[in-house]
Amino acid sequence: MLHRLTFFAMAAENEVQLHSDDEVFAQRAANAAIAEVKRIEAKYSRYLEDSVVSRINAQAGGAPVKADDETLALLAFADACHRQSDRLFDATSGVLRRAWNFREPRVPSQAELDAILPLVGWDKVEISNAHVRLARPGMQLDFGGFGKEYAVDRAARVMADLGVSSAMVNLAGDLAILGSQPGEAPWRVGIKHPRRDDKLLATLPVTSGAIATSGDYERFIEVDGVRHCHVLDPRTGRAARGLQSVTVQAIACIVAGSATTIAMLKGREAGLAWLDEMGVAYLVVTEDGTVIDRF
Amino acid sequence: MAATKGESSALAQLAQAALALPILALPVKAGAAEVGEIGFTLLGYKERGLMKITEPVLWGRAQFLESWEVQASAAIDIISGASPRLVTNASGKPVQTLTGASVEDRRNTSDVKLTKHFGDFSLAGSMAYSDEQDYNSKAFGIEGRLDVNQRNTTLIAGFGSSKDHVGSTDDPTLDKPRDTKEYLVGVTQVLSPTALVSSTIAWARGEGYYNDPYKLTFTFFPTGGPLLVPDVRPDHRNTVAWLTRFRNHVPSLKGTLQADYRYYSDDWGIRAHTLEVIDERWSIRPALRYYTQGAADFYSPTVTRPPATVHSSDQRLSAFGGLSPSLRVILRVDDRLTVEGTLGYVQNAANFHLGGSGNEAFETLRAGYGLIGVTYAF
Repeated sequence: MLHRLTFFAMAAENEVQLHSDDEVFAQRAANAAIAEVKRIEAKYSRYLEDSVVSRINAQAGGAPVKADDETLALLAFADACHRQSDRLFDATSGVLRRAWNFREPRVPSQAELDAILPLVGWDKVEISNAHVRLARPGMQLDFGGFGKEYAVDRAARVMADLGVSSAMVNLAGDLAILGSQPGEAPWRVGIKHPRRDDKLLATLPVTSGAIATSGDYERFIEVDGVRHCHVLDPRTGRAARGLQSVTVQAIACIVAGSATTIAMLKGREAGLAWLDEMGVAYLVVTEDGTVIDRF
Repeated sequence: MAATKGESSALAQLAQAALALPILALPVKAGAAEVGEIGFTLLGYKERGLMKITEPVLWGRAQFLESWEVQASAAIDIISGASPRLVTNASGKPVQTLTGASVEDRRNTSDVKLTKHFGDFSLAGSMAYSDEQDYNSKAFGIEGRLDVNQRNTTLIAGFGSSKDHVGSTDDPTLDKPRDTKEYLVGVTQVLSPTALVSSTIAWARGEGYYNDPYKLTFTFFPTGGPLLVPDVRPDHRNTVAWLTRFRNHVPSLKGTLQADYRYYSDDWGIRAHTLEVIDERWSIRPALRYYTQGAADFYSPTVTRPPATVHSSDQRLSAFGGLSPSLRVILRVDDRLTVEGTLGYVQNAANFHLGGSGNEAFETLRAGYGLIGVTYAF
């Protein structure tokens, strides 16, 4: 029997679905998964003063901050993404939001971006001896590119550890699938169309694996007919161009999610070439609306 | 598709870094492609004191060979109750009169539609068949759709033709044809990531027998004898229907509002407007529909002296308006099974007519309907 719980976390509506004949067990497993998502949100949210990320940011330009194994492993993952993306994936680029306010349609001036760009740079993050230090005052670490995806993976792991063998964790469209539904039936994953709210781009039948989507429709402004989305290039401080949305399936949501962000940042030609080279299943909508389905 | 590159590939590097975290490696597996849906709905409609209709419908939709899609449905209408056949002013003013005979009829309908997708263009062919004791209809249609402007615009064009035969249980010799050809053009335009508008115009040209063989008008005059005349309508009917639909998704409300406006006009003199608003914010969806129409040129509840060459007292051709609120509830049982139900009420009355009261002889119709449906995706 299918149990479905929706919950609010990370500023979005999320859900856990799992199959179990035991209602009490299903509730307990779902609650454990939800608690794990909330633990990660509290630990890494840049909005919470008390979070690990906020404490590191508060010490930018100052003393190194002690980090635990989990935080260090996440930073090592961010480092791998940085290296594998020709330095486009940068966990310090969130500070650019000081210039980009996606609530009003205004593109920041070059001078505004120039003032912030010196604060962006993964090479200015010093990690040694289990301590983290941001080299310049005003720098900010931001787990936005992989924190939610990690929470998806952790929620799946928590349920697997409890003995769940058929579940889906979906945090605002980024999801992990732990085993097929009864009778080997796939979970049917609807992928949002980046321009049309009334229809899905695709419905993917998935029995196992993680799926993440990154798109230019999540937070954006439109100025003079040009869309500027929240995926920002750390070299220029400007919005990524060339792709409307990228969906990737991988063995972990954190891998799928970082791959979608990197492809968005690389743009149409380089992004598609990089996804092909990765050898992952993907679904892309390019800037001109062309759908490329490699699932 | 699995990673087949060496350990130095970007995927291998990211996977290695990810698996240093306390998470699981979930094997990447896709299931069989979605092939379709099958559904059953049961519709019940009851007019106060008059007709009752029960309609079970079985329908299905399937994709095959990647670019083909087939849709089909079959339904049986079970009609019972009474239908007013005579309009008479015997009591002073014209009223509908129920004759003793009650109606018992079954209508079998079925249709099938086959669509082939060629990238941004799709072409569909359809056939429909309907049969009851005193009426049958065969129809076919073709429809093309083209996505342009980065798929922000969809253009639609279609043609349909139907051949009907009208009979009567009162007169076994009656067998009259009616042919209709319909042309349709439409456009759907995305206005913003959350809003879209679509507009479709359909023209139909019909020729043949339009009379209702069961309807009679019996009129008494102050002097001279009464006249009893059958329903005689023109032998052609050309119609235009223009439907415009607007949908807007409001992210802050987590819902979609839909508004439809339909204009209808025919060469019998009927002009009608329908406005419907649906609130799809929740899984309980309230909707309200308003309808108003003007009378056909040849409608009259009484016979003129001498009788006109075309004349009908059928109140569906008179000036009236209608209000119909409904509530639809959709329950997703799991990702395959959806159950839904709709309850609605219809009230058609002369004084709901827009711009002055409609025809006085219109007798208020009150009807309720309900629908339950189950859809299974496979």
